[in-house]
Amino acid sequence: MSPQATPNRAPPAPKKGAEPRGPRAPLGERLAAWRDQHFYGLFSSLGRLAARPWSTGLTVLVLGFALALPLLFWLVFDNARELSGGLREAREVTAFLKPGLDARSAEACADELRRRADVAAVLLRTPEQGLAEFRQLSGFGEALDALQGNPLPSVLVVTPREATDVDEPPLVAALRADTRVDLVQYDAAWRRKLSGILHFGERVVAVVAALLALATLLVIGNTVRMDIQARSAEISVMQMIGASNGFVRRPFLYAGLWYGLLGAAFALLIVVAVELALAEPIGRLVDSYAHRFALHGIGLDAVAALVGASVLLGWCGAWIVTARHLAAGRPA
Amino acid sequence: MIRFDNVSKRYTTGLDALTELSFEIEAGEMAFVTGHSGAGKSTLLKLVSLAERPTRGQVTVNHRELARVRRRGIPQHRRGIGMVFQDHRLLTDRSVFDNVALPLLIAGTSRTETAKRVRAALDKVGLLAREKASPLALSTGEQQRIGIARAIVAKPPLIIADEPTGNLDPQLSLEIMNLFAEFGAVGTTVLIASHDLLLLKRMQKRVLVLDHGRLVDDYHPPVKAA
Repeated sequence: MSPQATPNRAPPAPKKGAEPRGPRAPLGERLAAWRDQHFYGLFSSLGRLAARPWSTGLTVLVLGFALALPLLFWLVFDNARELSGGLREAREVTAFLKPGLDARSAEACADELRRRADVAAVLLRTPEQGLAEFRQLSGFGEALDALQGNPLPSVLVVTPREATDVDEPPLVAALRADTRVDLVQYDAAWRRKLSGILHFGERVVAVVAALLALATLLVIGNTVRMDIQARSAEISVMQMIGASNGFVRRPFLYAGLWYGLLGAAFALLIVVAVELALAEPIGRLVDSYAHRFALHGIGLDAVAALVGASVLLGWCGAWIVTARHLAAGRPA
Repeated sequence: MIRFDNVSKRYTTGLDALTELSFEIEAGEMAFVTGHSGAGKSTLLKLVSLAERPTRGQVTVNHRELARVRRRGIPQHRRGIGMVFQDHRLLTDRSVFDNVALPLLIAGTSRTETAKRVRAALDKVGLLAREKASPLALSTGEQQRIGIARAIVAKPPLIIADEPTGNLDPQLSLEIMNLFAEFGAVGTTVLIASHDLLLLKRMQKRVLVLDHGRLVDDYHPPVKAA
């Protein structure tokens, strides 16, 4: 016991011998070691998941549903938006003229309208054109042949100069007041409602997606937390023999990543299954729209977004719980 | 290698585990810490491995004041210490080889170097043939040897062991202690907590005796005539 004997010994020469322990190894070797440690984390975590197929499977199922739901909502919404896109553009006012009106009067009526300042264009559809179009679209060709005369009126398709949000613009009022006009069709109010519904739908999808993303985070976090508890003895051994926080945390982060990846894969499976199940009735519905609109399924960008988000959520969930555990398990 | 200067440790429960403890262990020395249970043996080892911090006083290990080792530096500090536990603390979900390789994996040693060193360590404890076995398939004595192989595989300058023979019969205990003595003979500092007085007597090494947290005796064996 000589308390004053050591203070001024040679400055710390901590490494005895030329052992390549610590940060003195050449760069290539350190990179290889770094790679080895990551491979270890990647595959040891995967092996652990595979060792408990039941609990892993259940977790993946829950994740799959949580991820698939917003994706399906989004698909429905996206298609609905596309469908409505064509309608929103249609801001024409359609005026059906009185059935008895002859072609010349109809032409005169169209000319009057063309002279108005708030009218961009007027298209006159004669009863003959209307019949031909109807024959083509409806498939009632033979039935129409049986008709003796043409029951269709002349139609004026009036394009206003500016789109307006007023329910009843002066143009529409004027058309309604015109005695030659039988019926005016103008759907501004309805289109505004549709636009409102779509906006609402967009928000609903966003909120649902956010909630379910949070659920995904919690499910993965909780699963990893239980995993940590089951292995707390192992973690304490690792810490006692010098494992850094990063080393201890890595397998759990990779586990979170795997959960995210598997969950995303299962979610895609669900989405594809739902698409297949609904393909037939939707196909019929689309046909009834006479191909003005094509249904689209989930695209590559959506798949990439799903997988990316899911992996990120898994990683973050695992990071949060390991950080908590590591902070609790160390002396100051 | 290890120096305690007036070290006291009081746990938050109010228990005084160590009181004004001062001693020094030279590099390459082998020493035992003994005393009744609760005398502070484990606390002393925990202060060395930074599992605990002293309430007062200064602990120096390998020329480094531990008070200056920050939280982030603790893993690096522990890599310089080979630790052996009473219940060996092997990981039962992997092979003997992987257990021994763990400190090297943590330190980032290359794979070929790791294999070489693991086999050398297993050879030293006489269990080279069991590298593929599960720790569960081994006897208690063998498990403790694997624990020792894990402690020495990174060639740390210091080995500390907390009751490493606590679960072993006298014959096995002596074998294990002789194994530790071999490392001491090649320049590694060895500090072992044990309450097995008969065993300590046979080993003829330095013994620090603790009683209620105070150092009551520091026995040095008589220098043998060469």
